[in-house]
Amino acid sequence: MMRDLDHILKTVWPEVRRRHLFPELPTPEYGEGDQRVGLDIKGKKISISKQFVEGISEVMEPQKALEGLLDHAVSHYLYCPWDFSTHLKLYREAKKVLKDTQMAKRATDCFIDVVADTSCVSQKDTPLPELYKHLQRGSMEEAMHALYQKIWGMDLGVEGHHEISRKLSRLPYLDRSRWKESIRRFARAIHYLLEEEEREGNLDKPSSMGNHSLDQYSLQEIEKGLQELASDVNSPTEFKEILQDFKDEILKGDMNSEQAMGLGPGRSSDANILYYMKLAENYLLPIRRTPMEKSGSLYPHHHVPWEVGSPYHDIDPWTSFGKIMPGITQTWQRHEGSVFSHEEGTPNCIVIIDSSGSMTDPTRHLSHAVLGAACACDAYLRNDAQVAVYNFSDAYIGAQRILTYSRNRREIYRTLCHYFGGGTQLQMESIEALQTDRVPDIFLITDMQITNLEIMIEYFNSVKNRVTAVHIGNNKQVQTFRSSMALRDNVGIYAVGKKEDIPRIVLGKIKEYLYTLTP
Amino acid sequence: MRNPFMDFRSVHYQKKEIPLERIVKAKQEVMDRILESYFSIVEEEAKDLVWLVEHSRVVKTYDAAKESIRDLEYDQDDIEEFCAQLDSSQKVPYMISGPAGIYISALVNHIAQDSIVLGLKDYERTFHFLGFRLPEGKTLTLQGDVGDFIGAGLSGGRLVVEGSTRNWCGAGMMKGEIFVSSHTGQRTGEWMRGGEIHVDGNIWSTGKSIFGGKIYNRGKIVIPKESD
Amino acid sequence: MNSGENSSLRETIWEIYNYIQENLYLNRPDTEIKGIRFNSALLISLLTGLCQGKQLIIGEPGLGKTTSVEYVCSLLYRFPLGTIWGSEVAGHPEQTEEKIIGRPDLGKLNIGEEVVIWSHFSLLPIKIVDEINRLPETKQSMILDGVDRGNWEYLNDAIINREYCLFATANYQDRGTNTIIAPLIDRFDVMVESKHPGPNLAYLIGAEGANGIKLHNEELEEEFQRILSERLPYSVRMERVEELCNRFGDAMERGPGIKTLSRDDRKTIRSQKDEIPFDLDFNAFLRLAISELSFCHRLGQKRSYEGCEEGCHFTGYLCNAVRNCISNRFPISIGNFSKALAWLLGDEKVDLEHLKALMPFTLAHRIQWKEEVVAQHEKEPRDDPLDIHMAKDAVMEMHRRYMEQGPQVKSALAVAYRIMEGEDMEPIQGDHPIYWDIRKDLGEEVKQ
Repeated sequence: MMRDLDHILKTVWPEVRRRHLFPELPTPEYGEGDQRVGLDIKGKKISISKQFVEGISEVMEPQKALEGLLDHAVSHYLYCPWDFSTHLKLYREAKKVLKDTQMAKRATDCFIDVVADTSCVSQKDTPLPELYKHLQRGSMEEAMHALYQKIWGMDLGVEGHHEISRKLSRLPYLDRSRWKESIRRFARAIHYLLEEEEREGNLDKPSSMGNHSLDQYSLQEIEKGLQELASDVNSPTEFKEILQDFKDEILKGDMNSEQAMGLGPGRSSDANILYYMKLAENYLLPIRRTPMEKSGSLYPHHHVPWEVGSPYHDIDPWTSFGKIMPGITQTWQRHEGSVFSHEEGTPNCIVIIDSSGSMTDPTRHLSHAVLGAACACDAYLRNDAQVAVYNFSDAYIGAQRILTYSRNRREIYRTLCHYFGGGTQLQMESIEALQTDRVPDIFLITDMQITNLEIMIEYFNSVKNRVTAVHIGNNKQVQTFRSSMALRDNVGIYAVGKKEDIPRIVLGKIKEYLYTLTP
Repeated sequence: MRNPFMDFRSVHYQKKEIPLERIVKAKQEVMDRILESYFSIVEEEAKDLVWLVEHSRVVKTYDAAKESIRDLEYDQDDIEEFCAQLDSSQKVPYMISGPAGIYISALVNHIAQDSIVLGLKDYERTFHFLGFRLPEGKTLTLQGDVGDFIGAGLSGGRLVVEGSTRNWCGAGMMKGEIFVSSHTGQRTGEWMRGGEIHVDGNIWSTGKSIFGGKIYNRGKIVIPKESD
Repeated sequence: MNSGENSSLRETIWEIYNYIQENLYLNRPDTEIKGIRFNSALLISLLTGLCQGKQLIIGEPGLGKTTSVEYVCSLLYRFPLGTIWGSEVAGHPEQTEEKIIGRPDLGKLNIGEEVVIWSHFSLLPIKIVDEINRLPETKQSMILDGVDRGNWEYLNDAIINREYCLFATANYQDRGTNTIIAPLIDRFDVMVESKHPGPNLAYLIGAEGANGIKLHNEELEEEFQRILSERLPYSVRMERVEELCNRFGDAMERGPGIKTLSRDDRKTIRSQKDEIPFDLDFNAFLRLAISELSFCHRLGQKRSYEGCEEGCHFTGYLCNAVRNCISNRFPISIGNFSKALAWLLGDEKVDLEHLKALMPFTLAHRIQWKEEVVAQHEKEPRDDPLDIHMAKDAVMEMHRRYMEQGPQVKSALAVAYRIMEGEDMEPIQGDHPIYWDIRKDLGEEVKQ
């Protein structure tokens, strides 16, 4: 029997693969599992429970059972949830309705199953319905199978559950653009079933087709998904909440993922760091190429045919075979050589960020100031430079944080995300202490309501750094700062009407600094 | 001109249809019509920047809603879906709460079913004017907390609220019953002329002008007061 | 041609592949097609040789870019290595047309007659250019034009190659070298990387020394030199060359025991491969891919000097990630190479798996990505150079979309056929650019 099953799997898989147009999935294998749960997917590797197949072979052909299981697994990859980002988005919508982590996860799993299976049944000739007919069912599965009966038009041997199947049958499962709305309605409708499952202690029991843990996603997919989630959510609080719900699963797969994703040992500030880190990844600039410049000297580069009337002085007698005649004679074309320019590397960067009370608290709401600062840090770090951070509020009473030059992304972001919420005073000595022989670039992001503005103006009037000051809003201090810096070529001041413009302005300046060829 | 699709001449292009598509299509058509008639009402109401609660205006809106849904065939699930649309959308027409609640009431009052249950627990938006002019013979159960003017103008129906209401619960009701399992807000029963309101939780305050009917709090009658 | 002969030719190619892989070009398999693992550089070089294609091979210096193709050409075309070396063109700015194509016979020139002495490069069917990016653009263009058309002109004379294939090597397009400009790089059918074989295979390469000696034959090389230098009409000369090739083929069979291909064998293979049909999924997916790489809702088509507008509805498709419009050479290249691969694998039809395997190599050099898209991928872990890696990702992305929408796309194309034949039907709508392109083909004005 075992040999048969191995052989059947080897025959069935190529057919299933062909039917689904050759998905990039490794060959499935038999694995550990109990008789109740047929499938497990880890990192796209499909694992089928042999015990399950042996059990179900008593009531249906093993070939069809395997086909059904594989169709189900492949549909999850192909259609829903497709990727980690979609999975998270669906979960997020379910959580908004259900307000409970376990229930939201279960509702998401059910929804994903319905979508994937319905898509498969509607497009392919699959034995999935037959498989469902013979599966063991709890109350939730019964309701789902009743739904399948209604929307697939097939008898799966379920009786009752008319009301819930009627409610659920009107959802447009195959319309991807409406999944967010559909899962909310889905979750609402099955809320009472989830409560029942919770009472019976079955909420985290996997269905017969296996659960949909995050094990099925690779680290790259998880990182990409978090990046999309960061730009999707309305605030860092929401991001934190969802991250917290899945933290164990995200960290379980890869021991190094903690470093990779900047997740720390459970502190909520680490979720903030991750949020801004992922958000800043949406604003990436490419790595700067070492610029070339012309050497200023002309060298013979290639031959061109000589034409009657052209000068003789660049004729190459050797390639012309000693002849001066059109079609035979060749002259040299001279070009200027290219050499590496003198600017060999990216300068370091000092990011000065205002975290006084008038600025947005980055842990509660999206702070575009922090985001802009994060974009600057990211750009310099990607070009192998170092970044120093000066986060200030009321510096003279100790409300300031200084991070000296570092490439430690987590520490940089930790310093950026810190919020004091007090007054606004810079300590120039702290900034001066960060100056080096190789003059760094300076990015200053503030609302310019700085108490010791005159001292700051005096300082920036004296420095040689390229300074980009981005400020929010307009006030008397801004006018003062502008007029004082008017004659300074190295200081650029940019006002933003909308905070959303901060990252764009920062990136624009970085492009100018780092990506324009030196003349 | 050459036919660049020649290779696909023998492809069978009829899609395999499952009942889901037919169901969704049919439901979508109904929903589109419900939305269309709702928008036409709101367009009229949204001409003023602020929708004020005045009796004549409420009645006018209700009559317009009634007229617009006259030939519509829909069921309870359609009403729930409409509520879901109102809850999830950030579009302006969905956010004018007064007309929205009145429209829902019109839908409830004219549905063929006698007993309607609306699950509103998981919604973020608060609905007002639900149960407006609920007629005799109809039972409306609202699961979750609801807003102002619940059961206003009740006309003989039975309104059950499994949650709390806000202000003016039962305002101007003529006859019928309102059961609130949790609390009510201010001016409960204001302008009521008949019928009964039963509140199992706290009543913040009752109406200043109550012309008839009874209000019970935790089984004890509070209006009319025993001394009256 | 009977299937017996089919399979024997196929076996010969596999023997050549295995021989080169085991003895000459030691490298790791890095790609899987239908469950079989191959080294992409070697496999694609073989396909290029069979298809009369143009291949660009990139890689670090000393990793076998040139030697691998020399071995492939030697066994596919039956030329000893020495003859191949003598015909190679080295890429440097001082290369002249005289060194590449031909030169006047100086003796005749002195008495006023224009007689051309053709270079070995122009005479032989295999053309190898080393470091093509170091050639000035005019010379790159000259070579690519010549290979495209198969004819070479100098003074008032011309020769027409009956068969030809081009292999060009280049270092990574980076600092200090010329780039191959877009119109020229587009003419290459495929781009592959010759990778480092890893320390263990590299050790073996060092320990065993140059195994290419087995592909030498001094006696025949001298004869080749003589024939190629003779002042005979081109066709006569090439007949004699073919006789020598056959002798070399016999020598290879007797000596190292490898079968090689004659000119007639290659002709047979080409005609067999041309008969293999494309299946419908290949057809539909290729159309879908071309659509994504050429479509622009706002501007009619992609143009490299015109940018995308922000917030375009088609943000999720590749048209939003690329700057240029894919050329018509792309479907020609992929079609040709896919057929060759299908023939090689013994398949009856060219299907999606062939297409997916080869598409990244036909796309990598043809796509100009937007900066921000490059930035997203630059730091990803990968085994390929960035261009090929991004092309592989792009193909995977398009394939996933096709897996989801394939039946609907095929239905849309079927309905379009009927509409074009005069039936009264509505075109099938969908979100993907292909549906919009179909409507344009049907003469509908597609507005925003």
